[in-house]
Amino acid sequence: MQNPYEVIPADVYEVIQESPLIRTLRFKPKKPIPFKTGQFIEVGIPGIGEGPFTPSSSHYIVDDMDVTILKTGFLTEYIHELHAGATIGIRGPFGSNYPLEKFKGKDVLILGGGCGLAPLRSLFLTMLHDNKDYNSITFLAGAKTPKDCLYKDEVTEWRRYDNVRFIRAVDEVPAGEQWAEDVCLVTKLLQKIDMKPNGNPAIVCGPPVMMKFGTFDLLKYGYKEENLYLSMEKKMYCGFGQCRHCVIGGYYACKDGPVFTYDQIKNEEAIWD
Amino acid sequence: MIVNVHDFHTFLMKISKGVGGYNEVIVPYKVGSERNGNSLLHFCRFEELKTLELNYFRTTDPAKILFYLFREKVYPIKNKNQKRLIVGVKACDLKALHLLDKAMLQSGFVDPAYKQWRDNSLIISSDCDHLHETCSCNLLNGHPYPENGFDLNLSIADGNYLIQIGSERSQEFVELMKKEITVVDSTASDIEIVKANRKKVFDQLVEKNNHLTHSGDFSEIRKVEHKSWEEAARECVGCGACTNICPTCYCLILNDESTDKDFIKVRSYDSCQWYGYARVAGGGTPRPKMTERFRNRYLCKFDYMHKNFGEFGCTGCGRCTEACAAKIDFREVVKNVSSLTQEVN
Repeated sequence: MQNPYEVIPADVYEVIQESPLIRTLRFKPKKPIPFKTGQFIEVGIPGIGEGPFTPSSSHYIVDDMDVTILKTGFLTEYIHELHAGATIGIRGPFGSNYPLEKFKGKDVLILGGGCGLAPLRSLFLTMLHDNKDYNSITFLAGAKTPKDCLYKDEVTEWRRYDNVRFIRAVDEVPAGEQWAEDVCLVTKLLQKIDMKPNGNPAIVCGPPVMMKFGTFDLLKYGYKEENLYLSMEKKMYCGFGQCRHCVIGGYYACKDGPVFTYDQIKNEEAIWD
Repeated sequence: MIVNVHDFHTFLMKISKGVGGYNEVIVPYKVGSERNGNSLLHFCRFEELKTLELNYFRTTDPAKILFYLFREKVYPIKNKNQKRLIVGVKACDLKALHLLDKAMLQSGFVDPAYKQWRDNSLIISSDCDHLHETCSCNLLNGHPYPENGFDLNLSIADGNYLIQIGSERSQEFVELMKKEITVVDSTASDIEIVKANRKKVFDQLVEKNNHLTHSGDFSEIRKVEHKSWEEAARECVGCGACTNICPTCYCLILNDESTDKDFIKVRSYDSCQWYGYARVAGGGTPRPKMTERFRNRYLCKFDYMHKNFGEFGCTGCGRCTEACAAKIDFREVVKNVSSLTQEVN
């Protein structure tokens, strides 16, 4: 009998400072964690606690993973203190994943902002692995300022594929910072690309406000409710639908989600809070 | 089967001393003095000199506390191997255990600690022959006597227990009982007596709760105006007593109590009535106001759980009303909400 509370120890071997408040931990679990992109894991520090995070690495690699974490509360402050050599505890994987089989042959649009890029990087890297299976992949990524952009070193590589577009925008450029790309809200980038909403999927992840207006914009441009995939991050405490903290109406964000179609949850309460 | 009440109690005493290989015999005892004319009953270990009252009404704490412990280590899990006999569980608690089984054993994963307690415990339930002031199982299609979910059930019939068998695994216990005390077949008249007793208690219950009757239809509960909830929640202080004592509430906190050497996870009860319940890092929470959290409990019981498990999350045991620091009567709120739900339609 599998114990859903089982903790798999993992060794952190690298910590990358992505932006002033965001770090990526790279770690090797002592036992492979066979996740599907979009699913989440619980990352814990012994004696402190744990929290739900979606891996930001490709699901083709199950024994060497990344999580990208924003420093925003009690646990994440501890996580940001970690250095290479630290041991963390992983539970999972839990929840639903991005249904890649439904994306095959399609023009896939990915819309993300802030730390919401973490799960989207996992999706993106997983799709790049078989990029020819998709007609095209467009990744619109937003950040507050140039300094806040994530995965800076990987952008050149991501832009090398014929059928892949990676477009970035920042909300503003403070004095003294350099930026040669778009300056606008990430949702505004939608107007600049030739969208093919007809029957194609769009995946949205980011801060609640961005997700809300991003979703509404995509609907306006003709994307169908059932083709809009949202990562609903709630307080996913246990990971398997027992603790009930993440209940959205009759759904569990941890078990039925975190990946929902807008169609599934549009009538539920407080989904953007 | 029919056994003499005194004989059965003697048999329980023998079991508590090791006959049958049980580690524990747990029974309800009256504790403390009467409050508002009501006795309090608690599940305790069997003690030889205490007077047993196996029927009476429900205990103050739900049977949940024996299976889903207030605080329990869930990783790593060790084999408890504790064969227990739990006597005097009431119909409302059996119904709640049935729901907890759905949540913890049949939802795609198994909570290992809960499963062990369930597997290792033989449940002997009993008919209610008294009513607590807050008892209201009849309002939720329940009865003050068990119909299923037990291993054995005890009904009083003229100084005897009429014993009904509810599971195959009780066979071993029955065989042991036949060896130790006199067991005879029940007659039609015994069954008639039990039926009459049951009817009498049920009729009392119906009469007592007549003014609290509701439609039983909660399909539109989400549409009830926020203002009505504000009204209902005005006195609520958000202490969470209602959820902790509820036999079907099982929200948990998972604490990390790891040492330098081992990862250790301990779960304990949480309450959706508390501000921090659904709060995420950064401070966002879907229910910042007390009214919203108050409403959430009713929606969880009558809407979400119904959606998740196909049944209401309320058994009508009345414990939340009994425990409420602000004296909010759950039954009154349910009645009002249900009438407002009708208006929505």
